[in-house]
Amino acid sequence: MIEYETAVGHLDADCFYVSAERVRDAFLRDKPVGVLGNQGACVIAKSYEMKAAGVATGVPIWEALVKCPDGIYVKRDFRWYEVLSRAMLELMRVVSPQVEYYSIDEFFFQASVPRGGSFQKLAESIRDLIWERVKVPVTVGIARTRTLAKLISDAAKPFGALAVLDREAETKLLADRPVTEITGIAGRRAKRLAVWNIATCLDLARADRRLVRSLLTASGETLWWELNGDPAQPIHTQRPAHKALSRGGSFGETTDDPTVLHAWLVRNLERLIEELEYHAVLAGRLTVWVSYKNGQVGVGQTSLTVPSDRFDMLLDAARPCLRNAWVPRVAATRMHLIAEHLTPRAEAPLGLFDRPDPRLETLARVKRAVNARHGRFVLRSAATLPLASIYKDVANGYDICDVRGKICF
Amino acid sequence: MCMGIAMAWSELPAGLIERHALERRAHDRGGEREVRFLYRDRSPRLPIWRDGRLQIVRWGNRDGRSRFLPGTGWTWQATIEEGAWRNLDAQPVDIPANLALERGVWFRVTQGLRGLLVPDEHGAAVVYVICEPASHYYRVMTRSSRMPLLIEERI
Repeated sequence: MIEYETAVGHLDADCFYVSAERVRDAFLRDKPVGVLGNQGACVIAKSYEMKAAGVATGVPIWEALVKCPDGIYVKRDFRWYEVLSRAMLELMRVVSPQVEYYSIDEFFFQASVPRGGSFQKLAESIRDLIWERVKVPVTVGIARTRTLAKLISDAAKPFGALAVLDREAETKLLADRPVTEITGIAGRRAKRLAVWNIATCLDLARADRRLVRSLLTASGETLWWELNGDPAQPIHTQRPAHKALSRGGSFGETTDDPTVLHAWLVRNLERLIEELEYHAVLAGRLTVWVSYKNGQVGVGQTSLTVPSDRFDMLLDAARPCLRNAWVPRVAATRMHLIAEHLTPRAEAPLGLFDRPDPRLETLARVKRAVNARHGRFVLRSAATLPLASIYKDVANGYDICDVRGKICF
Repeated sequence: MCMGIAMAWSELPAGLIERHALERRAHDRGGEREVRFLYRDRSPRLPIWRDGRLQIVRWGNRDGRSRFLPGTGWTWQATIEEGAWRNLDAQPVDIPANLALERGVWFRVTQGLRGLLVPDEHGAAVVYVICEPASHYYRVMTRSSRMPLLIEERI
């Protein structure tokens, strides 16, 4: 019987959205390309050519134009990105018995080679396989833990393949990387570490474990174990149940019109209900979060007497939340609607006074059936009429959060 | 509105490049040569497909060379539908393009733009880019309220 050695692999597509556009449009190859999100307002992905011009992910298009006047801008298409993402996932499931669909362009996997085999060759073969079959350039890192594998793939980009399992090479890699390159360490956490002269990944790995726990809590300690080569984060082959579901995003154009804000609330609620229905859960608490152009943030929150996924009940709950989150005469830029305290539908308690309403349940069923047959949002609340131009654009009918099964946003 | 287009150098016939001295409109983007046709050029021109051939014609009437054609480079699709161009022997044409430009934003177009070709009083061909009200995405991306009518595409 063949004996196998195992390690953890991390696959990360290189500038995925741009690469996905290049799969179907050769004209874009080697040119500075930016994919626009937020209704066309921001660069959500850029090619290495555009990055070289100084354009960062998330910047408004008007900033990007100054830095890269020759840049080409394309509209995001999450349906297409999902097609390629799932093609990569399918290949990874052939290559490895355990694959985690971490995000649309990242996977963790169990890397196995026969005893004495080469993890380096495995990393290269996976990178080449994805390129050959899907035409998306990816970088593959293999290491003793997830955190190390991700650091390695980040270091090997673009179109790299690197296995680092030798302690000496691992130490060198950690010494060269700032601690902020570890997922989960940024801003305040990095500042807390800086006080203790922890600047590189190696500094963190060599720091006292109890100190790290006191500075970064248990999640920081997990990273410490991982950096020292002890796997502390498993590979999730199935997405764990959601603790919260949310829908929302940027408006593209700001608005201070309450009718338009209400329309966005209803749109986000209809999308949220789709998600509640898909996961067969009911919402016990709703939060409406609105951010404004002047930097203000408004929040409204309410707990429902009886958990629900019914449009009328959730809208009745969400309206006062919006009123609390609303700042009159200030332009709002984005809104999120968050459902928490999720209860599986099968275990939901019945309210004394909120009896099932067969008429409304039939209406919800008809709405679902019509939309399933004729297209998403074909039948929707009339309160969304002020957003006719948003519904007219088919690209708005499918967002990154609609790509199901992945762990991360 | 659309202030210009770009076409890959390789898609333009050599004879056309020479005849219209397109060399001076050539630029390099990502290592690939392209020809830019901009409305702000001293003599604005656009490529069009006419009778199965690629031709280069005047873009609009900004310089007032014609006394009766509008002194602009664009026309609303609604204006055409209302019949305002009916008596000018106008005909729809395709303007091939790989990219279009609006307020500094170069955006990808897969086939090109729709145009309206009209003869001036001397019989010379003049093309106008057909526009429609901007979609929400286009308005956010370019801050323009008008967008060009694209060939079998809408952004």
